[in-house]
Amino acid sequence: MLRRIFSIAANTFRETIRNKILYAILAFALFVIGMTFFLADLSVGDFARIIADVGLASIHIFGVIMAVFLGITLVSNEVERKTIYILLSKPVRRFEFIFGKTLGLSVTLLLTTLAMATVLFLVHFSYRYGGRAEVGIFIASAGIYMELVLLTCLASLFSTFTTPVLSAIFTLSLFLVGHLTKYLYVLGDQSKVEAVRWASRFIFYLLPNLENFNWKNEVAYGGLKSFSILGWAAGYLVAYAACVLCLSCLLFARKDFK
Amino acid sequence: MIRQGPILSIERLSKSYPTGFWRKPVRVLSDLSCEVHANEIVGFLGPNGAGKTTTIKILNRLAFPDAGKVTLFGGQVRDGADVRRRIGFMPEQPYFYEYLTGGEFLRLCGQLCGMSRADTESRSSELLSRVGLSGARDTAIRKYSKGMMQRLGLAQALLHDPELVILDEPMSGLDPMGRMEVRGIIRDLKAAGKTVFFSSHILSDVEALCDRVIMLHKGRKVAEGRVEELIGAETLYIELVVSPVLPADRLAAAGIPPDAGYAQGALLVLRAADNGQANRWIAGLLREGGTVLSCVPVKKGLEEIFMERVGGSDSTGATS
Repeated sequence: MLRRIFSIAANTFRETIRNKILYAILAFALFVIGMTFFLADLSVGDFARIIADVGLASIHIFGVIMAVFLGITLVSNEVERKTIYILLSKPVRRFEFIFGKTLGLSVTLLLTTLAMATVLFLVHFSYRYGGRAEVGIFIASAGIYMELVLLTCLASLFSTFTTPVLSAIFTLSLFLVGHLTKYLYVLGDQSKVEAVRWASRFIFYLLPNLENFNWKNEVAYGGLKSFSILGWAAGYLVAYAACVLCLSCLLFARKDFK
Repeated sequence: MIRQGPILSIERLSKSYPTGFWRKPVRVLSDLSCEVHANEIVGFLGPNGAGKTTTIKILNRLAFPDAGKVTLFGGQVRDGADVRRRIGFMPEQPYFYEYLTGGEFLRLCGQLCGMSRADTESRSSELLSRVGLSGARDTAIRKYSKGMMQRLGLAQALLHDPELVILDEPMSGLDPMGRMEVRGIIRDLKAAGKTVFFSSHILSDVEALCDRVIMLHKGRKVAEGRVEELIGAETLYIELVVSPVLPADRLAAAGIPPDAGYAQGALLVLRAADNGQANRWIAGLLREGGTVLSCVPVKKGLEEIFMERVGGSDSTGATS
């Protein structure tokens, strides 16, 4: 089973890294991150902080674009091009296909995030006014990467039953909502109606809480002290992604290919 | 001789596809039952839209029936990996990962089938050579022609040496040479003890290759049987080839009506309705100085049988 999952993952990785649009997005992201070196000179205050702040935001935004762009076509491309006919007629179970595709894309996103984080680290380090080796950039990037993996799982869930355009809309909606769920919890808790409080809590736990992966401010303001927060976030990612992937597999298990 | 149980059994299979939220689903298969036994070549015939591809998709878990049961090697089709290892499948107009080379694609297939690297490499070389693609092993699939894709599709279906080979329109897109090669491969598979189940609407290929045929029309089975049984002993007409072309008055003197045949160069081709009429005409022709070069009973072909069963005018795809 693992061999088949890794074979599909390796093939997906090979497919995505040969995607020219991915390279265009990555090149633009690296350009924007590189430009923060000059942007800091134009701003007032803590110049190195500006670099970390804008750079991490760039990694986040471009990472989300890559995850959504590649994730929404993860399954639908295989169906449209009918390549899935060959794969599923082999001794491959449908959940192995979903796991392999998601794993392959996650590896691609790991490399692109690592490339962006490394460039940001070097820019930050080489900045002449207050630049320093800020390991926090990699910790915050790890958080961004975990968020991208979760978005990939959500995008692949949507791509099992709907069109790429709708998948993109659903995934981006969850991305936005996922960064605002704590407000839903707080607002719900202020209600005097018990049912509203319970409903808001239910929705809070049901929707992905992407703020669990957000340490950009802590890095920019120097408040990130420990790697231990990675462990908790990784646990949340594994639990939530497992649920999403199980749902994808259930929906995909009985899908007819016309 | 004790006959083994079928390796593929389809029982009362039905399938509909939804056509929209409000519209009625379209039924593409109705109550289809058939069997395939070991070491047979079985042709699955029908015009476009008859339900051949849907049936083949169900056999390969790419679609699920509304009702009915498919049993492969004695187990249900959903039994999974162990059963799949014994089946090779080539879809109609196969599509591959265009960024891979032919060799890389077969390596991927080998990994998915649980083959060792060494086995995959040796089988790939053997099969690419067999299908005439050994020179294109390291060429990106995006540069392959339609015929090359079809050949690669055949190679991947046979890579793991399956017992049952299911081919959906294997001759489609091939030139005459390619069709002949594929026919040769299918015959070789039978000689090696394999079972082949293939769909086609090219009746001449089916007639030349198959032990048995199953005819489908509008999702229903319209005929099933051994090719020689279906073609049967029924003679359509008896064709006489005569030399030289006799003038109308001498044909009339021989008892042959003017519309009984046609001239083909220096030969006269006549069609007698039965043996008795053929004998009478031969006697008359000899009397009038003609020479009968050949006398051949022409039997029904699959094409005639097929057109009879599906009603002729409403079939759209049965050709050649």
